[in-house]
Amino acid sequence: MGVALAVAPVVLVTLLIGIRGVAAMRTTSDFLVASRRISPLVNSAAVSGEYLSAASFLGVAGLVVKDGIGALWYPVGFTAGYIAMLVLVAAPMRRSGALTVPDFAEARLNSPALRRLAAVVVLVIGTIYVVPQFRTAGLVLTAVGGTQYWVGVVLAGAAVSVTLALGGMRAATYVQAFQFVLKLLLFLIPAIWLVLQAGAVNRADALNPVEFTHFTRETSVKFEVDVTMVIREPTAVRRNTVAETLPPGEFTAHSQDVVVFGEGTAVPAVRGGAPLGGTDWRRPLLDLGDQGYPLLGTWSVLIATMLGTMGLPHVLMRFHTSPDGRAARRTAAITVALLGIFYLFPGVYGVLGRVLVPGLYLSGATDTVVVALPYQVDSGWAGGFFTALLTAGAFAAFLATSLGLLLVMSGALAHDLVPGGLRRLRFAVFGVAAVMVLLALRSAELDAGVLVTWGFTVAASTFCPLLVLGIWWPRLTAAGGIAGVLTGLVASSGSILFALAGPQLHGWVAILVQQPAPWSVPLAFGVMALVSLRGRPPLWATSAMLRLHLDEPRSARPRDRSSTVRRLARLLSR
Amino acid sequence: MSRIRRVAVTSPQTRLAHARRRSRGRWRVPRLPPAETQRATALYRAQRRHGLPALVLMFALLLGLPGVFAVFPGLDSVRLLGIPVSWLMIAVLPYPSMALLARWQLRRAERLEDDQ
Repeated sequence: MGVALAVAPVVLVTLLIGIRGVAAMRTTSDFLVASRRISPLVNSAAVSGEYLSAASFLGVAGLVVKDGIGALWYPVGFTAGYIAMLVLVAAPMRRSGALTVPDFAEARLNSPALRRLAAVVVLVIGTIYVVPQFRTAGLVLTAVGGTQYWVGVVLAGAAVSVTLALGGMRAATYVQAFQFVLKLLLFLIPAIWLVLQAGAVNRADALNPVEFTHFTRETSVKFEVDVTMVIREPTAVRRNTVAETLPPGEFTAHSQDVVVFGEGTAVPAVRGGAPLGGTDWRRPLLDLGDQGYPLLGTWSVLIATMLGTMGLPHVLMRFHTSPDGRAARRTAAITVALLGIFYLFPGVYGVLGRVLVPGLYLSGATDTVVVALPYQVDSGWAGGFFTALLTAGAFAAFLATSLGLLLVMSGALAHDLVPGGLRRLRFAVFGVAAVMVLLALRSAELDAGVLVTWGFTVAASTFCPLLVLGIWWPRLTAAGGIAGVLTGLVASSGSILFALAGPQLHGWVAILVQQPAPWSVPLAFGVMALVSLRGRPPLWATSAMLRLHLDEPRSARPRDRSSTVRRLARLLSR
Repeated sequence: MSRIRRVAVTSPQTRLAHARRRSRGRWRVPRLPPAETQRATALYRAQRRHGLPALVLMFALLLGLPGVFAVFPGLDSVRLLGIPVSWLMIAVLPYPSMALLARWQLRRAERLEDDQ
């Protein structure tokens, strides 16, 4: 019940914004003149609002429980991406007038083929990015409301596509900026409450992790997906209320099983995660899949997230609300600071989650640790209240991100690949959302860490080289762009798919196949440069590039004449 | 007529969806007048020269910190206010450093445009 109360307002408000979109735009257009002068602060809040997805709100804390303190490198990379954006992309991209990378391909290289290829890449990145959002919605509703996994996924898909098809996402920048403040508060206040409420013993336990070898109290674990564990000593459990003793060796818990481990029994080992609270867990390095190369694992994740941020289609678009290139650059800089505030907190949820909900480590549903925590601290109304707050925040997070991405994807489909009218765009929205829901239904058991970085890796290996070379290297040719983007797409996606479906690999090879950014990004850059050098750029290439670096004349900036508008704008951007 | 130019500001995504078809086939050869070419060239070179150190610093900071953890595992057992120092270095330290780096680079990039 409490869940419905938490999720319903978020979904309703999203729907309302969609339905009211048209009218709101017409009646407030005087006011909206001010939007052209949106201050970088408001705009960067909007960028952050769109960027903070379910992966940031829930995923990072879950990865801390699963992989250890080293998982905190993910948010560091997410934030650092905006420094790369500030230095390399923000101002020139705004000055190019292009909203997305397909547009940029047209403006800089005038190549319809590259435009279509870029649209395909937008679809690929969008798919990889949206599916985890829907997946998390399913997991969260399961954890909080006890519903089936598919209920949350379908609910999320329906809310997003109905909103988009009714009004399109007309939510202006202020709504996104408000979203950021909302998410920050919904994340920050429960974190502070949890720390205060957890008690001195739990706080000390959180800071002094000991390896999780024996259950300190009776623990009931509900499995949503099949999990294979290694039993170390004969373990007495109750599986689905039937008492039995598990012999040492492999044991597979099936989906929907409820296994109760008694107090003092040994904790089975789980494949693929660091032993909870063990030495590896405590280290601030990310030893992916326990392959024994923590430094390589950490660097791969950092490279993918830092460089991938530049190519995320829904984020690039947000920079366009800045009045000029200079403001776009400021927006990127302030975003670094705003994200930094938010990302101080996932670690708090992570270390508390290890102490309070270790059962999630066995069931693999570590993504739900954030919403599972309040009830462990307080089983009364306060726990329910904070669970509701966090669930609402999580839904806000994934709605904002998936709305932006779905529209970008429908746009790529209905305008770049198969040109058609607005009706086809609306139709495309439903089509895309349906496909995403179907994919999300099948992906409950995928590894969260892979899902979080996959989209970033593809973006880093395709759009990052295209944008960086397009903006800073006059000799880039369309043929080079096409070859590089294709190489990056095939290399990064192929490698990750191979890791998911192919044979078990070991050692550093396994890390480089699972997180291919350290080699796929240089490869894409190299192919792009080599093919370009073999060709000859058109005569206008240098002008096309230099144009991106020319700052706007100051006097030509739009000025508001109405003092009311000016005062309103100042008030809002304060 | 009214001196206020009305601009419909919707989500960029929506605007993109509407604008795509109109913008098609309108591509023109980009031309820059000589004076602007000169200014753009100077800005391009200056920004490239000033951007590189910022990027190098960022990569050094972020790829270097894991290296520090790998070389000095002792940081895990040193504690500040009861919290392992290495945890603070990964969960807190990067954010203010990155914010400062972004501010520094922003100032430099803007000064270049002001001076030119």
